Amino acid sequence: MDSYIIGQQLLNGLTLGSIYGLIAIGYTMVYGIIGMINFAHGDIYMISAYLTAIILAVIFSFGVTSLPFALLVTLLLTMVITGVYGWAIERVAYRPLRGSTRLAPLISAIGMSLVLQNYVQVSQGARNQGIPILIDGVVRLGGEEQFVQITHIQILIVLASFIGMGVLTYIIQKTSLGRQCRATQQDQKMAAILGINTNRIISTVFVIGSAMAALAGVLVTLNYGSFDFYIGFIIGIKAFTAAVLGGIGSLPGAMLGGIVLGMSEGLFAGFVSADYKDVFAFSLLVLVLIFRPSGLLGKPEIEKV
Amino acid sequence: MSLQQKISLRKALIDGFWSGLLALVIFGPISGLVLQGYEVRNELIRPLLMALLVGGGRFLVSCFAQSEKGKRYVDGLAGKRGAGVTVASLKKGKYQYLVIPVLILAGLCLPFVLGKYWLTVVILALIYVLLGLGLNIVVGLAGMLDLGYVAFYAVGAYTLAMGAQYFHLGFWTLLPIAGIGAALFGALLGFPVLRMHGDYLAIVTLGFGEIIRLVLNNLLDITGGPNGASAPPPTLFGLEFTRRAKQGGIPFHEYFHISYSPTYKYIFIYLVLFTIVCLMILFVTRLKQMPMGRAWEALREDEIACRSLGINHVTVKLSAFMMGAMVGGTAGMFFATYQGFINPSSFTFFESALILAIVVLGGLGSTVGVIIAALVLTILPEVLRDFAEYRVLMFGIAMVLMMVWKPRGLIRIKRRAFNAKGVTS
Amino acid sequence: MFKLSLRKYLVLTCVIGAVALAGNANAAGTIKIGVAGPHTGGYAAFGEQFWRGAEQAAKDINAAGGINGSMIKVVKADDACEPKQAVSVANRLMDVDRVQAVAGHYCSSSTIPASEIYDDAGVLVMTPGSTNPKVTERGMKGVFRMCGRDDQQGAVAANFIINKLKAKRVAVIHDKDSYGQGLADAMIARMKQLGVSEVLYEGLTRGEKDFNSLVTKVKSVKADVVFFGGLHTEAGPLVRQLREQGISAAFVSGDAINSADFVTAAGGPRYVDGVYMTFGQDPLTLKTGRDVIEKFRASGYEPEGYTLYSYATVQALTAAMDATNSTDLDKMADWLHSHSVNTVLGEKSWDSKGDLKVSDFVMYQWDDKGKFRQL
Repeated sequence: MDSYIIGQQLLNGLTLGSIYGLIAIGYTMVYGIIGMINFAHGDIYMISAYLTAIILAVIFSFGVTSLPFALLVTLLLTMVITGVYGWAIERVAYRPLRGSTRLAPLISAIGMSLVLQNYVQVSQGARNQGIPILIDGVVRLGGEEQFVQITHIQILIVLASFIGMGVLTYIIQKTSLGRQCRATQQDQKMAAILGINTNRIISTVFVIGSAMAALAGVLVTLNYGSFDFYIGFIIGIKAFTAAVLGGIGSLPGAMLGGIVLGMSEGLFAGFVSADYKDVFAFSLLVLVLIFRPSGLLGKPEIEKV
Repeated sequence: MSLQQKISLRKALIDGFWSGLLALVIFGPISGLVLQGYEVRNELIRPLLMALLVGGGRFLVSCFAQSEKGKRYVDGLAGKRGAGVTVASLKKGKYQYLVIPVLILAGLCLPFVLGKYWLTVVILALIYVLLGLGLNIVVGLAGMLDLGYVAFYAVGAYTLAMGAQYFHLGFWTLLPIAGIGAALFGALLGFPVLRMHGDYLAIVTLGFGEIIRLVLNNLLDITGGPNGASAPPPTLFGLEFTRRAKQGGIPFHEYFHISYSPTYKYIFIYLVLFTIVCLMILFVTRLKQMPMGRAWEALREDEIACRSLGINHVTVKLSAFMMGAMVGGTAGMFFATYQGFINPSSFTFFESALILAIVVLGGLGSTVGVIIAALVLTILPEVLRDFAEYRVLMFGIAMVLMMVWKPRGLIRIKRRAFNAKGVTS
Repeated sequence: MFKLSLRKYLVLTCVIGAVALAGNANAAGTIKIGVAGPHTGGYAAFGEQFWRGAEQAAKDINAAGGINGSMIKVVKADDACEPKQAVSVANRLMDVDRVQAVAGHYCSSSTIPASEIYDDAGVLVMTPGSTNPKVTERGMKGVFRMCGRDDQQGAVAANFIINKLKAKRVAVIHDKDSYGQGLADAMIARMKQLGVSEVLYEGLTRGEKDFNSLVTKVKSVKADVVFFGGLHTEAGPLVRQLREQGISAAFVSGDAINSADFVTAAGGPRYVDGVYMTFGQDPLTLKTGRDVIEKFRASGYEPEGYTLYSYATVQALTAAMDATNSTDLDKMADWLHSHSVNTVLGEKSWDSKGDLKVSDFVMYQWDDKGKFRQL
C-alpha cells in the first residue's frame, strides 16, 4: 500500500476524530456533573451551524470585508447565543426534573431534541443550507502527483479541539469554578450545604458545553460548508459514542475517544469497506467496553455497600 | 383582599422582562433571519411576537406563583418529585372487580365500531403497548437501561419476512419462532454486556441496535437492504384476508360468501394482537409476584445485597433480557404482518428512544402506566396530523411537558399491601 | 386513585375521538387529491417540493374551471419517509380524508406499502418521485409514476460514461438507500454489458458530511470517472472533498442532484463546474413549462427537483378524472394506459405496468456559474 495514501487516511481520521472530540466534550461535561445523557446536545451543535451562516450573512450584508474580523464576531456571537440556548434548555426541560429518576431527564432531552430539530425546520425550511468557502488554503507534503494534504481549516479544527480540551481541563482542575463543579459532581446536597449554588454551577456547565458545541459548529460549518436541520442527530450519536469510548465524564477521554473513533472509521472505510465502517466503529466500542467497562480513560465505578 | 396585596407586580414584571429578552436572543436569529442561499431574509416580526408571548406568559406565571394557590401548587409540584415508596391500599374499590372484564369487553368490541384508519392506529398503539411491556421488564423491573431494544423488534419482524420468503412458512408457524429467536438473540447480546452498569450498558445496547440495522441494510442479497422485504398477512385456519388468495388458501370473504373489505384483515390482526397483549399483561403481572420477578426488582434495588444473599445475578439479568427480547420479537412480528412490508428505516435509534419514552413516561415498572403511555404516545402524533408541519414540534413539546408534569411517570409504581393474615389485596 | 385517573383518560379518549370526527367533513363539489410525502424529518426538502408543485397545479386547474365544475383540493399527508407512518397516513387518506386519488410518496419504501392500501381501497396513486423499479413491478393496476425508473436512468448514464467519456476506471459510490443504490446498480449493470467493470463500489451514510476517507480511496484506485447514486445533500460535500484532495476525475450523478442547493452544498459554483447529471428533458424548452415556471418564480419560489414532477402528476390525475368523468380506479387506469397527457413536463403516456413509455433522460453538465445545460 502506498504510504501517501496511508498518511492521508490517518489525517482524515484525525480531523474527523477532532470534530467528534469537540462535540463529545459537551456530552462528557454534562454527564460528569449530573450524570445525564444530554441527547439534545447534537441539536445544539446543529443550531450553532445555522447561527454561523446567519450571522456571517448579516455581517457581510453590512459590507464588512475583513475576514478575520467577520469570523471572530461570528464565533463570539454564535458561542454566546448557543450558550443561552444551553442555559434555557437546562432551565426549562431539565431543572424541573432534578431529584427525580435518572431516566426522566433523558426522555425530556429526547423531546427537546425533537423540538429543536422541528423548530429549525419550521422557521428555516427543510432545505439544505450552506456557507461560501471562506478559508481554503491547503498544506501539501510530497510531489505533484502523490502528496499528503491537510487544509488550513482542518488544522484549525485539530488545534481548537486540543486547546479547548486543555483549557477546560485547566478550568476543572485548577480554578475555583472547577472545584465547585467537582464538588457538585460528587455530592450535590453536600455541596449545597457548603455554600455552593449548585443550580448555578449546573447551568454554567450547560453554557460551557453548549459554547463548545458552538465552537465545533462554526469550525465544522466552515470546513464542510453544508448543513441542514438533521445533522445533529448522526453526529450527536457518534460524539456520544466517542465520549463513552473514552470514559464518560473525563475530558481527555472524550478527546481520545473522538480520535480513536474517527481514526478507526476513517481507516476502516479507507482500507476495508465504507459500508461497514459504522458497524466496525460500534463493534470496537462494544469490545472496548467488554474489556474496560468504564471506557479508555474512565475511572472504574467503585461499588460501596 | 390581602391575597392581592402580596403579589409584587414589580417582581413579575422583572421576571417577564428577562424571559422576554432571553426569548428574543433565542428566537431572534433562527426565526427572524431566514437563510436564502448565502443571504438572509428579514422576518424579525416573528421572534418579536414570540418573545412578547414568552415574556407575557412568564409575567402571568410569576403573578400566579406569588398567590396563595400558586405557592401551594408549586410546592405540590416539588413534593411529587421526591423518591420514596407508595404502598397500595388494602381496601378494594367498590366496582374494581368490574373494571377488567369491562375493559376486555370494550377492547373486543372496539374494532367493529372504529373506522379502518383509527383501527390501524389502534393496532399500532397495541404493538407499542407490547413493546413497552417488554422493555419495561428490562428497564423498569430489572433496572438495565437498554437503548437498543429496537434490535429485537427488528429480529422479530425480519424473522417473519425472511421465514416466509426463504422457507415458505406461515404467520402462525413463525410466531413462536420469532419470539424464541429474539429471546436467544437477547441471550447472545446480553451475555457479554452483563457486567456493565448504567450508561455503559445503555451505549453498548445502542451500538447493538445500530449494528443490527446497518447489517440489515447492507445485506442486500439476503434482506433486500433498503428496498425492504414483504411480509405475509396472518391466516385464519388457512383462510386468507386478501382479495385474491396468495398463499394457496381460500380468501376469507369467499368462504363466508360476504363481500370483500380490506378491514377484515385489520380486525383479525387486532383481535389476535389484543388477545396476545392481554395474555402478556397477565403474564407480566404474575411474573412480578414470582421469585423471578422479585429477584429482578431486588437486583435493581441493590445488586450487591442480592449477590450476597445467593441470587445468581447472571441468570437473573439474562432472564430479564431474554424475556424482554421475546416480547419485542413478538411485537416486531405483528408490526411486519400489519404493514406487509418492512425495511431497515423502521428500526432506527429513534424507535428505541420512543419505546423508552413510553416506559419512563408510564412510570418505571408500572404495567398500567406503560399501557396508557403507549396509547398516548402513538395516538398523539396521529391526532396532531391536523397541525401539518408543526406536528412533530408539538409532539416534542408534549413529551417535555409530560415529563415535567409527571417526572416519575403517569402511574407511580406501588408496592403490594399485605394484611395480617398474609392474604394479598 | 386509579379510578380518578381512569376517568381523566376516558375524557382524553373522547376528546381524541371528537377531533377525529371533526376531520371527516367532506364538502360537496370538491375532488380531493392526497399529496403524500416526507413533510417532516430528514427528507422534508422533497416533501416541500411535492407540496409546492401540487398546490400550484391545483390552483391553476381551479382557476381554469376545475374538473367538470368540481374544484380540486389538495390534502397534505406526511409520511416522514418511514414505512410505518406511510401505512398510517395512507389509511388516513382513505378513511378520514377520503381522497379520490393520491399524488405521492417520495421514498420507494413508503410508496410500496402505502400503494397496497390504495389498491385495496380502489384509489389510484401516481408517484412523482419513487424511481425504484419494484414500485410498478408488483402487478398493481392503479400504480403509476411520473418519473423514470432507476434502470432507465442508470443505462443512460452508463452509455454516456463509456461511449462519450471513454472511461476505463469507474468508481461507483451510493448512499445505501433504495434510490441511490438502485441507480448505482442499474448503472453498473449497463456498464458491464458494455464491457467495463467498476474499480470501486462503496456506500456512504446519508446525513454525514465527511467523506474524506472514501475520497482518498477513490484516489488510490486512480479512477477517471466517479459515479454517485444519491442526493444532492451528500453529492455536494462529496464533490467538494474530491476536488479539495486534487482529484480531477469526472463526476456523474442522477436526477436527485438537480437542485440549486447542490451548489450551496458543494460550497459554491466553482466546485460543481463540469459535473454531469442525468435528468428528464428540460421543461424550459416547452412552452407550457415556461409559463408555469414563471408563475412559480413570481411567487418567489424556484421550482426545482420534483416540484414540476408533482405539478405534472396532479395534471395527469385530473386529466384522467376529467376525461372519464369519474374517480374510479379501473376507469382512470384504463384511460391512462391508453391515452397520453399533455403535462408541464411535456407529453406523457404510460405502459401497462404504469411506467412512462418514453424515458426522456438526457445528460446535463453544470458550469462554473452554478447553472446547467443540456449536452
